[in-house]
Amino acid sequence: MRNTTAIMNRELLSLFCSPVAYIVIAGFLLVTGVLAVFTGSFKPGAPATLRMVFEFTPYALAFIVPAIAMRTISEEYRSGTIEALMTAPVSDAQLVLGKFLASLVFYVIMIATTLVYLMLMMVYGAPDLGASLAAYIGLILVGTMFVALGVLASSLTKNQIVAWMIAAVPLLVFVWFSGWISRAAEGWWREVFRIVNISLHLDQFNRGLIDTEGVVFFLCTAAFFLFLAVKVVESRRWR
Amino acid sequence: MIDVKSLSKHYGTHHAVDGISFSIGEGEIVGFLGPNGAGKTTTLRVLTCFHPATAGSATVAGYDVFTQSEQVRAQIGYLPESVPMYPEMRVREYLHFRGKLRGMTREQRETSLRGVVERCWLGDVVDRPIGQLSKGFRQRVGLADALLHNPPVLILDEPTVGLDPSQIRETRRLIGELAQQHTVLLSSHILPEVEATCQRIIIINRGRIVASGTPEELRERVAGTSGLIVELKAAWTEIEPALRGLSGVTEVRGTPDGSWTRVALRAAGDQREAVAALAAGRGWPLRELRREIATLEDFFVKIVAGAHEAQTVPVE
Repeated sequence: MRNTTAIMNRELLSLFCSPVAYIVIAGFLLVTGVLAVFTGSFKPGAPATLRMVFEFTPYALAFIVPAIAMRTISEEYRSGTIEALMTAPVSDAQLVLGKFLASLVFYVIMIATTLVYLMLMMVYGAPDLGASLAAYIGLILVGTMFVALGVLASSLTKNQIVAWMIAAVPLLVFVWFSGWISRAAEGWWREVFRIVNISLHLDQFNRGLIDTEGVVFFLCTAAFFLFLAVKVVESRRWR
Repeated sequence: MIDVKSLSKHYGTHHAVDGISFSIGEGEIVGFLGPNGAGKTTTLRVLTCFHPATAGSATVAGYDVFTQSEQVRAQIGYLPESVPMYPEMRVREYLHFRGKLRGMTREQRETSLRGVVERCWLGDVVDRPIGQLSKGFRQRVGLADALLHNPPVLILDEPTVGLDPSQIRETRRLIGELAQQHTVLLSSHILPEVEATCQRIIIINRGRIVASGTPEELRERVAGTSGLIVELKAAWTEIEPALRGLSGVTEVRGTPDGSWTRVALRAAGDQREAVAALAAGRGWPLRELRREIATLEDFFVKIVAGAHEAQTVPVE
């Protein structure tokens, strides 16, 4: 546990020492800001909810979250610091978990910046706080899964851009196209793409429902990706 | 402390390390010497559990590097060859981080940090980001990191690369001091370096151990056949059979130099007296008679120069 927090803290320190962190947060705020305007969430007479903003947020997260996680492990490979790290008494699982938690903390901080919109809304109206809470829980669950995939991608290569692509491409498929594919597909494919349709799961949270199927889906896929990441890091010891 | 038995590491068809065995006792300083690409770093990486061996076994402080990897790593202070560090961290932060990974409490870290900062002369840079430090300082931070948890075994991969001459001397002195409490295995491709710091030398080339022993032992082995340089004023045709007639002479080569002849000869033992007597007997003027003492350097260069030669030179 101590090793995991040590790795997490160090990773966060590095993240916030580099300009990437601030660019990512600024980019995210820009996207959600544009969404807030284009969805007309702040129009007079519109319902006081961020639901429309959050509905489109995953489309942006599919690009942004892989960028948060892409450097975590691949940078260790590239700079060779993995040698110093793995010759200290640190287990592979501690490494992966520490990197994952650091990215997740960063993600939560990034998501928290959108609370500004909610506060603005509270000034001018009365948004449903319960539903907003559910929406935030949904976003954090989505983030957990995305970050885990990002860390897995990062463990596969020493090139950050490649790591970004490995994570972003499947996410784009799942988020942007799975609805379309599940409508076009027949038989069991249809069912598969309905289950992996992230927007569909998230929609439940946006409505204010904490949906068990969604919770299980996001947490289990996250655990699965992390498990794979540990195995990838471990495999280096047997090659 | 360190026991290696017929260890091999293959990368595809390339045999980086090919069945080496050695053992290092407690409190010894052992130098791992070899040209670049001889398999030094590969061996050290196996010992520090960074990557597995293809075959063979190794134990450090009684723990097996394959099955008890974490215990082994807790016993080792390792300075990797390229000294990888996070450039954005300050020296103090980095050392604290490394201490935490070794399970040290805050008080332990504070005390031992003060110690290693002083020992590795880091006082001036302890609050500077590592990315701003010169290679020499980074090397010292790496050394400080390896010493931080006071491990029984120190494995240092080329500890003096990139240091200036005075730093090299200081580092050698430091390593010498460390041997009182630690077992040290260090690698180098520079012979004087190992000769100056180590009690025992293991010479490795192309993944095999070609010689090992104390510097004195190795020197004796090398000096077994010594060379003589002789300059005589006489015709080569006369000189050659006369010198060949001396007992123990195995090789005679001459080059004319005006009316003089410069002869290089190899012989068992010291033949200077016999050569001088011969010259005096024949009435040949003699203007140089010198024994070429083979150095470890020659031996090492020979090993580096040709693998075939290296396989025949060593250790009877």
